[in-house]
Amino acid sequence: MKVSYFPGCSLEVTAKPYNLSTRQVCSSLDIELLEAPDWLCCGSSAGLKMNRLLSLSLAAKNLAQIEKQDLKEVMVPCPFCFRRLLSAQQEIKQDKKSREIIRETIETTLKGDLNIQNLLGFFRNEVGLTAIQSKIKKPLKGFKVIPYYGCYLVKPSQVTHFDNPENPTSMDDILMALGAEVLDWDFKTECCGASLSLTKTEKVQELSGRLLKEAIWKGAEAIVVGCQLCQSNLDMRQGEIWKAEKKNHHLPVLYITQIMGLAFGLSPNDLGLNHHIIDPLPILKEKGLLS
Amino acid sequence: MLRLTGNPRERDFLNQIIQESGQNLLECLQCGKCSAGCPIASEAVGGPRQLIAAILIGMKERALKDPTWSYCVSCGTCATRCPVEINMYSVATALCEMAEKAKISPPERGIHLFEELFLKSVRKYGRVQELRTVMEFNLRTLNPFKDLAQGMTLMRKGAISPFDILKGKKKDKAISRLFSKVQQAENGE
Repeated sequence: MKVSYFPGCSLEVTAKPYNLSTRQVCSSLDIELLEAPDWLCCGSSAGLKMNRLLSLSLAAKNLAQIEKQDLKEVMVPCPFCFRRLLSAQQEIKQDKKSREIIRETIETTLKGDLNIQNLLGFFRNEVGLTAIQSKIKKPLKGFKVIPYYGCYLVKPSQVTHFDNPENPTSMDDILMALGAEVLDWDFKTECCGASLSLTKTEKVQELSGRLLKEAIWKGAEAIVVGCQLCQSNLDMRQGEIWKAEKKNHHLPVLYITQIMGLAFGLSPNDLGLNHHIIDPLPILKEKGLLS
Repeated sequence: MLRLTGNPRERDFLNQIIQESGQNLLECLQCGKCSAGCPIASEAVGGPRQLIAAILIGMKERALKDPTWSYCVSCGTCATRCPVEINMYSVATALCEMAEKAKISPPERGIHLFEELFLKSVRKYGRVQELRTVMEFNLRTLNPFKDLAQGMTLMRKGAISPFDILKGKKKDKAISRLFSKVQQAENGE
C-alpha cells in the first residue's frame, strides 16, 4: 500500500518519536509512506485564530502539494494538521467565494478529492485490525492502558466526521487487538490544555492534572495518545502536577504507534521510547515487552 | 431572550461578526452547554455563552476585550455540543481580526504574543521552528529559564537537539509569496 504522508512541523522537531514510530510501524505493515513534497506549516492554532484567510491558504497550499503526488489517500499523524487540511478541503468545495479567493492566494486550482485520514482512522479502518494482528510478535497481555484521544481528532464532528466525539473507540479497538487490557474512562476527549502550555501553564497543569489523576485512579499503567500536543503536555507537565499534589507517580505517556511497534517486536530505541521525560522502560520491562 | 430589534445600526457589530465568522449567533439559545464543556471557561474567563450574549446585545468593546476568545484553543467542544452547531473558534477568529484592525490591545497579551511569534516563524521558514519560537517567547516575556529542567532532560535523552535551536533554516521563498498573495487579497487587490 502506498499513501501520501503529511508529518507536520512538530514531528520534525519536538515529536520525533511519533514520526519515528509511525515510519517503523508502517514499514512492518508493508505500507510505503511518501512524504508530501515541500509541505508547509498548516498555520496551526495561531494561524487559525489570527487570520482566517492565511490559515485557509496555508492548508490549501498543502493540499495542492499533496495532490501533485497523484495518490488518492493522505495520512496525517498530527491531529491539528489533519483537521485543518480536512476543513480547508470542505470549505473550498462548498463555498464558491472561498474557492475563488484561494485560487488567487495559492495560484493553482485544487481538485479537492483527497481522502484525508488521521493516523487512528488510517490504522483502524484502512489497514484494519486483521492486518495489524497478523504482525503481532509480543501480545500486550496484562498491560493496563488507557486510551486518550484529545480534542482535535474528533471535534468538532462537523469537521472531522471521525468516530464518536464523546466516546470514540478506534484506539480502544487497536489496543484490544494488540492484546492489551484497555481501561474505559469518561475523559477520552477532554482537553489537555493544548497550546496554552507555555502561555498559561497553570491552565494546562489543571486540565492535564485532571486527566492524570483520573488515569491513576482507574489503575492505568500507561496513557496512550495519538497527538503530540497531548503527549507533550501530559509528559512534560507531569512532574510539576504530582509535585503540587504531593504524590509520587510516574505514568508513561506513549504514542499508539510506539505501542503497536512494541507488539510487533520492534526495539524500544527504534520507536523513540528512550526520548520521553517519564521513562516508560521500567514498566515495559516489568511487563516483559522489551526484547 | 434579548435580541436587539430597534435601531438597525445597533446590530452592526452583531451582523459583522455573523458575516465574518459564518456562525449564525441569532440562533443561540443561551443554553450554556458551550460554557459547561469549555475547557478554558472559569470565573475569570467567562466562556462562550457570556461572550455570545455580549455580541447579541451589541457590546462591542466588551466582546473585543473578552479573554474567552484569547484563551480559545479551538478544541471544538462547543460546536460539537451546541444544539444549533455554533462554532466558537470561528467567532474567536472574527473577533481577533477585528481587534487587530481596530488596534485594540488583545485581552491576553501573552497568548497573543506567542501566536504572533509562531506566525513570524512560519512566515520566515515555511515550517514553524518550534524550539526557536519557545526560546524567543521566554526571552520576550523575561522568563528565559522557563521549563529549563524539562528542556535539559529532553536534550539529555536525545529527544530534542540543541542544533534545532541554533542552526535555524534557510528562508522559504514559496511561503513569502503565499503571505504576500494573502495580504493582496485582504487589501482587495
